[in-house]
Amino acid sequence: MAHPLIGIHAALGEIGVLAFLWVFVELLNPTIERVKRAKIVALMGIIFLFMSWVTAGYYYVNIYGPEVKPIIKGGPMPWAHSIFTETKEHVFLFLPFISLFTLGLLHKHEKKLITDKNIKKSLLILCGLIVLIGLSMAGMGYIISTGARTALEAGFI
Amino acid sequence: MKIHEKALTISTSSTIVLIAVLTIWSELSTPFKIWLTGIAGHHWVTKGVFSLVFFVITYFVFSKFSEDNVKKETSCVVVSAILSGLAIFLFYIWHFFSG
Repeated sequence: MAHPLIGIHAALGEIGVLAFLWVFVELLNPTIERVKRAKIVALMGIIFLFMSWVTAGYYYVNIYGPEVKPIIKGGPMPWAHSIFTETKEHVFLFLPFISLFTLGLLHKHEKKLITDKNIKKSLLILCGLIVLIGLSMAGMGYIISTGARTALEAGFI
Repeated sequence: MKIHEKALTISTSSTIVLIAVLTIWSELSTPFKIWLTGIAGHHWVTKGVFSLVFFVITYFVFSKFSEDNVKKETSCVVVSAILSGLAIFLFYIWHFFSG
């Protein structure tokens, strides 16, 4: 059975990313109420991303490294670890900082962004970037799981 | 607390670049990777702790500087994230095929 932390870290991360998709939608046509809601949702998103960081980190250091990594590296898809796990574990670290930056801008320009198109566009781009990086995390997670599954199917235990 | 936009931009962009540099450097230099591992027990944990500490320090250092404009600052963060992400991904492709 797959370790529960795989699902837990993925769920926390996806909720965090979906929160920024929500912020994106709120800011498409911002009003005072929508900006207020966007600030709360962005803060929730950051909390979920940090919880994902901690759970993923615990799983990666204590379970994935000693148990799953050798299986993938010995299987038919060693590149699933060597390229995708390595990229995922490091590019993920961008997310908490970009999301903090986004919340910072949102707080600072909460009044101006309703009328200033440049600020609105900047925040939309940042939310879009967070969502795209988050989706790429999910995609790489799928490739890594496939790497482990194919190794087990091929008898590498 | 008043948020200093320029400091936040510099701390975010430079932290992203720092993550990319630490990642690539630790793969190219075994002693450096061992040193990182020795600090927190795992090189990835040390990179995370370093990034957080670096982010906070650079924010407070650069909060003494004057403000800039949002469009320029957002571009700085977005470009550093895309280029650093690509650098890490392409490095690991090269590393896999050259190893």
